[in-house]
Amino acid sequence: MRRKALTALSRDALAWIIGLVWIIPFLGVFMASIRPLGEIIHGWWRFESFTPTLRNFIGAWNHPAAPLSQGMVNSLKVAIPGTIVPLFVAAIAAYGFARFRFSMKTYLFLTIVMLMTVPQQMIAVPIFRIMKNLGLVDTPFGLVLVHSAWGIPWILFFMRNFFSTLPIEVEEAARVDGASDFRVFFQIVLPMCIPALVSSAVLQFMWVWNDFFLALILIYSPEKLLATQRIPLLRGMYHIDWGVLTAGTIIVMLAPILVFAFLQRYYVKGMVGWVSK
Amino acid sequence: MARVYLEHVTKKFGNVVAVNDATLEIKDKEFLILVGPSGCGKSTTLRMVAGLEEVTEGNIYIGDTIVNDIPPKDRDIAMVFQNYALYPHMDVYNNMAFGLKLRRFPRAEIDKRVKEAAAILGIENLLKRKPKELSGGQRQRVALGRAIVREPKVFLMDEPLSNLDAKLRVQMRAELAKLHNRLQTTIIYVTHDQTEAMTMGDRIVVMKDGFIQQVGAPMEIYDHPDNVFVAGFIGSPAMNFLDAVILREDGDLWVDAKSFRVKLPPTRFETVGEYIDKEVIFGIRPEDIDDKDFVPNAPPDRIVTADIDVTEPMGSEVYLYATVGPHSFIARVDARTTARDGSSHQLVFNTDKAHLFDKKTQKAIR
Repeated sequence: MRRKALTALSRDALAWIIGLVWIIPFLGVFMASIRPLGEIIHGWWRFESFTPTLRNFIGAWNHPAAPLSQGMVNSLKVAIPGTIVPLFVAAIAAYGFARFRFSMKTYLFLTIVMLMTVPQQMIAVPIFRIMKNLGLVDTPFGLVLVHSAWGIPWILFFMRNFFSTLPIEVEEAARVDGASDFRVFFQIVLPMCIPALVSSAVLQFMWVWNDFFLALILIYSPEKLLATQRIPLLRGMYHIDWGVLTAGTIIVMLAPILVFAFLQRYYVKGMVGWVSK
Repeated sequence: MARVYLEHVTKKFGNVVAVNDATLEIKDKEFLILVGPSGCGKSTTLRMVAGLEEVTEGNIYIGDTIVNDIPPKDRDIAMVFQNYALYPHMDVYNNMAFGLKLRRFPRAEIDKRVKEAAAILGIENLLKRKPKELSGGQRQRVALGRAIVREPKVFLMDEPLSNLDAKLRVQMRAELAKLHNRLQTTIIYVTHDQTEAMTMGDRIVVMKDGFIQQVGAPMEIYDHPDNVFVAGFIGSPAMNFLDAVILREDGDLWVDAKSFRVKLPPTRFETVGEYIDKEVIFGIRPEDIDDKDFVPNAPPDRIVTADIDVTEPMGSEVYLYATVGPHSFIARVDARTTARDGSSHQLVFNTDKAHLFDKKTQKAIR
């Protein structure tokens, strides 16, 4: 009995330690963002004086060289369509893979899964050339296209697996009730897989929002830069303004956190698998 | 309301033949049961009528129309599934109204039909609930309601009661039969449960390995099974089968099972002619073997002394698991029997009701 309690205690302690180690960098960023530069210059963990302020946030938001306000709007312009488009396309394709019979289905699916393993760095140059030929370099649309292409395979994989867990009789019942294939998909199947759709949406949104690499390749006009691209520019010219830099980081982090917070209950359901019998 | 006609229908999945050359007429307003063990092709047959499986060969008619290439939505059928298949994101009302909405019925008509069906099924108070808030029996009713509101030509039911507990199943069995009387619609009902088949249908179709074995009214099939499979499948406990030889001695007919022999009624002469002195399968239902103590004036040439291995009291009767020589069989006798485990007891074979089957073809000798 005592031994059991001891094991539980040490397990809890370990979890706490890992949790703390995990959160310390974030705590540093947060502390730096809400205090004036003078207070944190010798370390954010020193609290001889503590003057909370929002000045850093305002500074980052209206930064003269790289205003985050514009960056956030630009990011949203990419992240929202960059989430919706692949989700829509991949969900329809995934349903086809899950429910319809067609030749070469397995091979096609395997190809898609295999191509998911290609690292982004490998396709950087080809992507740039394709986009240049299409005249889509330095446009949000081009970036949306690339993110959609990058998102479709994994969403397809995820959604197809989810579809195959749904009881097919529900779809058959709808068919007998008088629904066409499209109606079955949009009125019966899609509402049944809202958790999976939301999970995919949250992950894809975070991915697109946090992306730095593809944006770096494709967007370069100062006024078109995305939020993630602007953070390095917040450093300042002659000295690093840690306060503004960290405040900018937190502002940019806020979007995916909010998305997750709002959709969390669906997200968890989708990950666990949600089948109503 | 319509008749359904299957004309030499075959269904193949790759090399597997699920339904083999089935020809079957389901009359208008008939309650027809497809019964058989799993994998016998009964569900596939139903799904072909529904349009959920394509027909490999042959034709299916609903009314006078060949429906082979008509999608399910245009066949004017309704189907009830084993796992209910309710739409989880819609409440009960919308589950039932969905098919009518798709067919663009006026709102008032939809409302009227849904409420009527709900009243018939006693689920008026559940209309606002989601399927996950319902018990199994309630979901079953909603699934039925969804079919009823459509007022289709044909109802298709695929093992609709097998997910219910035993007590509810018995109750729903009676309600379904009642519902059929009320709706006066053609129903095709699939089950693996021979009790459901016996109690509910106007006619039964027994299937095995993709072949239709026998079609007939429940008692007709029970009393006159065409072959060993049907005889063994319909009836519970199942019919006893014993290897035996037919003998003719002094103008009498006997079934000789080596360790015992019983006399057949003289009416059998007409049918067993060519089987005399040959091996046959002797079939007798458990209720046609009685405890001698309760058969006054039992003819001695039908009495067999058997070792009783196990007695199973069922309340209203007792099942005796008996052995004579190499033969084991079950007798269903009066509850007052004095037979005990391990004792030996005299049983009477009611050979008027005995069944004889050809050993090679397994077909009934009639």
